[in-house]
Amino acid sequence: MLDIKDLHVAVEGKEILKGLSLHVGEGEVHAIMGPNGSGKSTLSYVLAGRDGYDITSGSIIYKGEDLTVMPPEARAARGVFLALQYPVEIPGVTTINFLKAALNAQRRARSESEFDAMTVLRLVRDKARSLDISEDMLRRALNVGFSGGEKKRLEVLQMALFEPKLAILDETDSGLDIDALKLVAEGVNKLRVPGRSMLVITHYQRLLNYIVPDRVHVLAGGRIVAEGGKELALELEARGYSHIVKDAA
Amino acid sequence: MSTVEDLLHTSTPPASWIARRGAGALELLRREGLPHRRIEDWKYSDLREVLNSAGGTRAGKELHNPFTALGGASLEIVDGVLLTASAKLPAAIEMVDLSGSTAPPPWVERQLGTLVHDGLCGAALALMTGGVALRVPSGMILEDPVGLFFRSHHSHHVRILLVVEDGAELELLEHHAHQGQLANIGIEIILEEGASLRHVRLAQSAGDAALVETIGMRQAKGSCYQSHFADFGARLSRLELQLDLDGVATQTELRGLQVVLPGRHSDMTIRLNHRAERTASAQVFKQVVGAKARAAYQGRITVAKGADGTDSRQSAKAVLLAASAEADLKPELLIFADDVQCAHGAAIGDLDAEALFYLRARGLDELEARSLVLRAFLEDVIGTLSSDAVKSCLWTAVDEALAELGAAS
Repeated sequence: MLDIKDLHVAVEGKEILKGLSLHVGEGEVHAIMGPNGSGKSTLSYVLAGRDGYDITSGSIIYKGEDLTVMPPEARAARGVFLALQYPVEIPGVTTINFLKAALNAQRRARSESEFDAMTVLRLVRDKARSLDISEDMLRRALNVGFSGGEKKRLEVLQMALFEPKLAILDETDSGLDIDALKLVAEGVNKLRVPGRSMLVITHYQRLLNYIVPDRVHVLAGGRIVAEGGKELALELEARGYSHIVKDAA
Repeated sequence: MSTVEDLLHTSTPPASWIARRGAGALELLRREGLPHRRIEDWKYSDLREVLNSAGGTRAGKELHNPFTALGGASLEIVDGVLLTASAKLPAAIEMVDLSGSTAPPPWVERQLGTLVHDGLCGAALALMTGGVALRVPSGMILEDPVGLFFRSHHSHHVRILLVVEDGAELELLEHHAHQGQLANIGIEIILEEGASLRHVRLAQSAGDAALVETIGMRQAKGSCYQSHFADFGARLSRLELQLDLDGVATQTELRGLQVVLPGRHSDMTIRLNHRAERTASAQVFKQVVGAKARAAYQGRITVAKGADGTDSRQSAKAVLLAASAEADLKPELLIFADDVQCAHGAAIGDLDAEALFYLRARGLDELEARSLVLRAFLEDVIGTLSSDAVKSCLWTAVDEALAELGAAS
C-alpha cells in the first residue's frame, strides 16, 4: 500500500526527516511513536501534500504510484486521508455543505456520479449517530466553536464518509479525555477493514490500548530508529524514549 | 482624452428648468475641475487622473444582466436616455421621462435637484442627456420588483428621481453595464413616512469605463431602507450614498460586496446622517480584491445633537488575493448626541492557507477551495436578501467574478 524509501524532507531550509523508510501493507495498522520534534507531523503533512514541505531526496510510492507528484486533492481522490491534530476552523462554511462538497469532489475526480444533498445527509446522519455528532453540529460552521473532542470526532466522521485506503491519524488522541478517546477509538476500529491501511501517529501509548497496532515504529531525529510489535509501545511507556534513542544513535 | 470642458459639453441641451437647478453645481465643477485624490472624499478615486490619462476607450466583453431572467417590469436606460419602459410596469406607478423639455408634474418640479451636493452630482443634473422620475403613490405595495437597467457605449450624464410616498413599498433592481468612457449617474431617492424600499444594485463594467454614481437620499419618519450593493470594479467605479435620516424611528440596512477583478477599482463611499431620535442603521461591507486591484470603503456616520436613541453599527472586511491587491477601509464616526449606541469594526487579511490546505486535503481543487471560502465570506451580504430569485442572480454574478479571479491567479 505505502512504500517510503529513505525520505529526506526540509521545512524552511531545515532538514526534519533524515532518511525515513517505512512499508505499510494492505489492511495493516502501523503506529508511529516518538518524542516531540522527531518529525511525526512532518511525515503526515508530506503524505497529505502540504506546501512548504520539500522532499530533498527519497521516494513515496502509494499503490504503485509516485505520491509526491500529486497535489493534495488528487491524493484525497485516490484514498489518502489525513485526520489532523488541529482540525481547521472555517467560518461561514457549514459542516454538512463541506462534507457534500468534499465527497462529491472526490467522486468527480474518480469519474463517479455525484450525490445530491439528501443522499449526503442520509449517509452522514447514519455515521454521525455512533460518533455522538448532533444535527446542530452539522448545521454549524465547520469546526467553529467545537471542543477538541468534537473536532476529533468530526475527523473520524469524515474518515467514515470518504472511505480512504490509507488513513493517517495525526495525534488523534491529543487533548482528549478517556471517554472521548474511547469514542474516537471505537469509531476508528469500526473502519478497520481488509482494504484499508492506517498510520496512527501518537506520542502516548494510551491510544494504542484501544487501536491495537500490527506494527510499532519509533521515529526520532527524523528517522525510524526502532521497530517491533505492539509490545514495543508498552516498553516505551515503561521506560520512555530516551533509552531507545540513545541505543539507536 | 477628456477634460472638464469635454465633460461639460452635451449634445442635447437639457430643459431650462433643469439647467437652472444645476447651474450652481455646474459652476462649482467648472471652478474646481474634476474630483481628484487630493480631495479627501476622493482620496481613493482619482477621477481626474483616470479621465485625463492617454488612450482611447477599449471595448470590453459583452455584459449580461442576470436580472433580465426574472422577467419582471423594467426600465431600460441606454446612453442616458430612457429607451424602453416595460408594459408590465404597474399603471399606478407614475413615470416621467426627463429627456423631454415639456413641463414636468409638480412633484418632479418640487423634488428634482434638491439633493445635489457636489460638482459632479450637479453635472449629472445640469448636463443630463435624459433620465426618469418615478413615483410610487401612497399606500401602494408592489409585490414584484421593478428593474432599472442602465447600459452605455458612450459618455453621458443621467438623472433619476424616485419618490416612494407614505406607506408605499417598492423593491428596485438596479443594473449597470457600461462601456463608454464616463457614466455619471445622479439618483435622488425620497422615502416618505412609513415608506419601504428594498434596493439591489449590481454594477458590472467592461473595457475602460469609469462609472460614478451618486445617490442623495432622505428617509422620513418610520421609513425603512434595505440595500444590497454589488460591484465588480471598472477602470474607476464609485458609488457614493449620502443618506439623511430626517424622521424618527427609521430603519436602515446597507450591505455591500466588492469583488474587484484584476487591475480594476471599486469605491463605495457612504455618508449616513442620523438627524432624528431612535434611528437605527447597520452596515456590512465585504471586499475580495484581485491582483493589482483596489477596493475602498469609506463610511462616515454622523449622529447629530438631539438624535438620541440612535443605534448604529458598521462592519467592513476585506480579503486580499495577491500581494499587489489593495484594500482601503475607512470607518468614521462623528457623534454629537449623548444617548447613542455605535459600534464599528474593520479588518483586512488574506485567505487562510490552513483552511485552503484542509479543503484540498479533502478533495477540493484549489479553485473550488478558494471559491468555497470566498463564498462563505460573502454569504452574510447576499444571505440577507429575502428573494431567492434575486439571491441567485447575485450569486451568478459573484461566481463568474470569483472564477475570473481564480483563473487569473
